[in-house]
Amino acid sequence: MQSNSLSLPAPRVAGDGGPDAERHDPVLSVRGLRTDFVTAVGTVHAVRDVSFDLRKGQRLAIVGESGSGKSAMAMSLMGLVPPPGHVAGGSVKLNGTEIVGLDDAGISKVRGKDIGLVFQDPMAALDPLKTIGSQFVETIRVHQDVSVKAARKMAADLLGEVGVNDAARRLSDYPHQYSGGMRQRVLIAMAIANDPSVVVADEPTTALDVTTQAQVLDLLAKICDERGNALVLITHNLGIVEELCDSVNVMYAGRFVECTSTEALFASPGHPYSKALLDCVIDPATARRGALPAIPGSPPDLSVDEPGCPFAPRCPIGRDQERCAVERPQPRTLSNGAVVRCHFAYDTQGETA
Amino acid sequence: MTSTLLKRLGVALATIFGASIFTFVLLRKVPGDPARAIAGDTATEETVAALRQSMGLDDNLFVQYGNYMGSLLRGDFGFSYSTGNSVGTLLGQRLPATLELGLLSVIIAIVAAVLAASFAVYSRRRWPDQAVRAASSLAMGSPPFWIALLALMVFSIQLGIFPGPEGRLSPGMLKPPNITGMFTVDSLLAGQWGTFANAAWHLILPAAIVTLGPFAFLSRLYRNQLRGTLRETFVAVSRSHGLRRLPVYNRHVAPHGLLSLLPAASLLFADLLAGSLLVEKVFGWPGIGSMTADAIIQKDFAVVQAVLLLAAVLYVVVSLLADLLMTAADPRTRVGAR
Repeated sequence: MQSNSLSLPAPRVAGDGGPDAERHDPVLSVRGLRTDFVTAVGTVHAVRDVSFDLRKGQRLAIVGESGSGKSAMAMSLMGLVPPPGHVAGGSVKLNGTEIVGLDDAGISKVRGKDIGLVFQDPMAALDPLKTIGSQFVETIRVHQDVSVKAARKMAADLLGEVGVNDAARRLSDYPHQYSGGMRQRVLIAMAIANDPSVVVADEPTTALDVTTQAQVLDLLAKICDERGNALVLITHNLGIVEELCDSVNVMYAGRFVECTSTEALFASPGHPYSKALLDCVIDPATARRGALPAIPGSPPDLSVDEPGCPFAPRCPIGRDQERCAVERPQPRTLSNGAVVRCHFAYDTQGETA
Repeated sequence: MTSTLLKRLGVALATIFGASIFTFVLLRKVPGDPARAIAGDTATEETVAALRQSMGLDDNLFVQYGNYMGSLLRGDFGFSYSTGNSVGTLLGQRLPATLELGLLSVIIAIVAAVLAASFAVYSRRRWPDQAVRAASSLAMGSPPFWIALLALMVFSIQLGIFPGPEGRLSPGMLKPPNITGMFTVDSLLAGQWGTFANAAWHLILPAAIVTLGPFAFLSRLYRNQLRGTLRETFVAVSRSHGLRRLPVYNRHVAPHGLLSLLPAASLLFADLLAGSLLVEKVFGWPGIGSMTADAIIQKDFAVVQAVLLLAAVLYVVVSLLADLLMTAADPRTRVGAR
């Protein structure tokens, strides 16, 4: 396993930007993160040497297919990798504090307060036996020394802020009395209740009705804008990325294969995998009937770490290249600022291949 | 709400009715002639035939069942030939002893199962879980009457810590005044500390043995339920909000486990109220179980029938209550919520 870290594309700060110090001190700094799942049939290396920085107010998308290690990475940031998984190495610094290796007491102080997580499935994310109000009050009082009454008031205000009507009364309702979209609003409100500097959203709209997806995403963007939280959005929906995020890390087989700005990615994807992902986006205006675009083959088995580029067998360029099969590509910077792991990345303005 | 309740009640009554038919027919179709059993081996055929006639055993099954149900509804459970008492009187004498044993056993089983399974699941080490699973396999796999004999041999005969199979009190000990019929409770109510100690001392060993099966079942059930709940997303969500392990466990994991324990524990309780036949027999415990065991051997239909029906009624009533409790405890099924 290499321990080199990816350098990042030129800093881009959303909003009005802060003082210089703020711009250069990342709120979240990940270096060489590795996460393994130890199973009976072997160790699955779900996250392999991931590094990135997140600055205040930045909105970073992490995209990739299912099984590319996105969710395992999100859980690693929270110190919540479910067994038999564990963070096998690397460093995650939140506002300068290392959180890898903290004990239960230490990491519990950080969770919810410095970093908040919005989960994939709002239908399963609330305790069905407890009212929304009691779960919300509990969440607030973990980090804030306020009375139950005051916490309830704060909860009602937050629920109102995320668009739950008649919030004070709906605190007494149980989760099953909320729709999926409403539950995700509640969960977003809970995730930001203690004002974390980083919000990680792990496919927050995948389980939702298409009609509510846009509302929830707009809400997430609005909240982060107003409160200045940095956002890590994990998704496989590139349409969302273009609207919501200022930079993108493309993940494949547990590694970032391209780190770039959203504009640069959509204008000229550098890595063949990024290009393939973009080619899969269906534009209803121009789509023709027939087979949907797809990337041939499937993601590699993450329990083995073969030499060479993991995307090579599926790659339009690397398929036939000797070099891609034997030599692991190292990060390099393209002319548009994107950092890619590819021997034959499309450079200049795109149409090289 | 009312219609659900009525529907449940209807089903309950139908179940009891079905059970009454089943036990009635079954007992009359098993080999062996109760009239012959009562009259004895030396009685002549004529005596037996006359007895059969007087017991109504020659009538057809429908008539017999009609008579049986008729007297049941009048509160007459029949007559026990082997003991010379009415079955109603017998039940009245025996039920408190079984109730006392069953109640204590179920309480021990629930408390022990919850504690053991919680420790097994909450601990980060593996041995507590393995120990609890092994204990529950052992308890589930060993026949209670054999354990009862073994326990008597070790604790009563060898060590002399607990009394022998002499029933609920030492010989010569006066019964406490009859309030509930449960000696430990009655003696406490009457302030007779010596009697209480003696009754409790007699109760511990049989209760510990009767509790083994329910403990095995409940601890396994509770453990699996807890482990399942721990994998739920909402548990990870509350962890992500910064809640530590213990509060998450207490507020979001244990309640789900306890909820699932309710119906199982209530059915086990109903089961125990019908008496544990062999354990009561081994300890000379004068409860429903030992009475039933004797009645089966004596072909005393009226008693066996009454006990089986009692068991059916207990099952139905207790599971109905458990259902209603579950409905009230789970907000998803609670009626009246918006």
